[in-house]
Amino acid sequence: MDIIGNLAFGFGVALSFENLLFALIGALIGTAIGVLPGIGPVATISLLLPITFGQPATTAIIMLAGIYYGAQYGGSTTSILLNLPGEISSVVTTLEGYKMARNGRAGAALAISALGSFFAGSVATLVVAGSGPLLTQVALSFGPADYFSLMLLGLIISAVLAQGSVVKAIAMVGLGVALGLVGTDVQTGQQRFTFGIPELSDGVSFVALAMGLFGIAEIILNLERPEARSVLKTKVGSLWLTREEWKRATPSVLRGTALGSVLGILPGGGASLSAFGAYMLERKVSKGRHLFGTGAIEGVAGPEAANNAAAQTSFIPLLTLGIPSNAVMALMVGALIIQGIQPGPRMVEAQPDLFWGLIASMWIGNAMLLVINLPMIGMWVKLLQVPYKFLYPAILVFCAIGSYSTNNNVFDVYSTAIFAVVGYMFSKLKLEPAPLLIGFVLGPMMEEHLRRAMLLSRGDPMVFLERPISATMLAIGAIALAAMLMPNLRKGKEAAMAG
Amino acid sequence: MKLNAKDIASGVVLILFAVVALWLNQDHALGSARRMGPGYMPMLVFYFVLFLGIMVLAIAFFNGPDPLERWTGLDAGSIALAVVAGTAAMWAAPQISSFFDANYGAFGLGLLVGFVVICWSLRWRAIGAICAGLCVFSLLLEKGGLMLALIATILVACMAEPEHRRRPLGILGITVFLLALCWWVFIKQLDIRVSVWPQF
Repeated sequence: MDIIGNLAFGFGVALSFENLLFALIGALIGTAIGVLPGIGPVATISLLLPITFGQPATTAIIMLAGIYYGAQYGGSTTSILLNLPGEISSVVTTLEGYKMARNGRAGAALAISALGSFFAGSVATLVVAGSGPLLTQVALSFGPADYFSLMLLGLIISAVLAQGSVVKAIAMVGLGVALGLVGTDVQTGQQRFTFGIPELSDGVSFVALAMGLFGIAEIILNLERPEARSVLKTKVGSLWLTREEWKRATPSVLRGTALGSVLGILPGGGASLSAFGAYMLERKVSKGRHLFGTGAIEGVAGPEAANNAAAQTSFIPLLTLGIPSNAVMALMVGALIIQGIQPGPRMVEAQPDLFWGLIASMWIGNAMLLVINLPMIGMWVKLLQVPYKFLYPAILVFCAIGSYSTNNNVFDVYSTAIFAVVGYMFSKLKLEPAPLLIGFVLGPMMEEHLRRAMLLSRGDPMVFLERPISATMLAIGAIALAAMLMPNLRKGKEAAMAG
Repeated sequence: MKLNAKDIASGVVLILFAVVALWLNQDHALGSARRMGPGYMPMLVFYFVLFLGIMVLAIAFFNGPDPLERWTGLDAGSIALAVVAGTAAMWAAPQISSFFDANYGAFGLGLLVGFVVICWSLRWRAIGAICAGLCVFSLLLEKGGLMLALIATILVACMAEPEHRRRPLGILGITVFLLALCWWVFIKQLDIRVSVWPQF
């Protein structure tokens, strides 16, 4: 009964005028950037981070969360109508969705992806509400050694599941942790790697790092590619599904929801991995698997449900353990810390309005998105006609003002430019920036827990193996690493990533 | 040969980073495992990065081929020239004007000159113009005000896209639109602490 009371409290928070307004704004922005290829949720959230400073923490997180799951709705529109994924997580939707559109069933594909997403989002919201407090109870018994091992596990899994080479991804995690070391040492007050620059004594600016690596570097890479956005030729057609389509899509939505909810919780998981996973699953087990490649509705329904479910459940590790599971969640940690809230198991009790308000707003946001996406689809299609050459100056100026206004100093803007060059270099060397961001956020926390654990154990590193929770985490991490070094498993991952 | 040039370059970058960082870390007391000093965790992390860099480099000899994009002489030359010109501008800045004295002005001018020079090569034009836009923005913002900084940034950034140079009317449109939008969002709604008009 407790959970119902808590949810009611959450709805009370989420239904306040301001929170409703910003949930709507988040959902609208999310859909817009989901529809537009070339700008994703990571870049958008990092460039909107500075804007959220003036808001209450709950409102800020509600809006940022809306952008993330809103992008999952919007991304499918472009995939289905233009065969061009608006988001990475909707790459697989192009495979069957665009075929459906060419068969004249674009409306049905759009409808099932919105309805499937809505169903998945609602279920996943309940999963977050149910499992959140339970996990929090477990997490409260964690000691510093357990925390350290848990974060290490999170970093390992996020590297293992990242695209491309595992070794390079782990190296990027290391680089991120290294960047996180810059600034004042908490225990001794000594300046580390600041080169006498006062602006660095609080560490490398999170906003500058995220904006440079994701926002600006993305602009540069998009400008190098010639624009391949053809004018819309497909007609949307009727949004109603036939009875036959309902029958085929329903089990896929259910499977996608379940898979996405589970994969979303995993570190490094999140929306894109879940969509790939659901597509592979549908191709193997669904009744219409022989129709794949000709426009099978299962291939739209499953992945679309999965990516939205995962977008919601990936909040679980963040809200209960304070550990970000992907780059978007790392940005959420940044947003919380800037607001003066340390994410972790105490958040549910200390900030109940944030926890329950966010959960309630997720459901409200999903309901809004259904309306935003289905009846208003024509408006989003029009948005696609804005060429990138007019879009990128806007993104750039927002980044410039945003990175300046975080701390009101121009040093952060120069840092953004430098990180943009670094991010550009990373992409040319096929180094993934997402694990770096997670390492950067977790690094300082890991150092603190490591020091505390070693102090308590009088310098004995065996403490990490003697405590059962910690030992279990390390064992899982070791297995995950070993599994990725096995050639056939790695091939499986590569196939899944290639779609 | 199955050389993976991208991974070789990645490995070298990682190793270089780790070695320089380990060298810098000599300033910090290590402490003991029980009472870790400020240098202990950095030491662990940098050795970790060094180890992974060596691993990436070692694997790179077998998992290719994955060649890097081929640079022309102009591509490499413009980078070298940009570094030289940028450094020179940074040192010369205090002599040019007192405008560059405060707020990392000299550093900003150096970066700006570097990014402008790099645009000489077509390959680097996007990265050069976009980053130069950011530098122009920071240089102009505090004395020139938001509006002037925005106009300059948009003009510089539009150089990244060849189509804009053929149709300058589009630049005018986007500038007016963005000035209005930024004024409404950042000054009217969010009220960030920045002057709007020049302060000369």
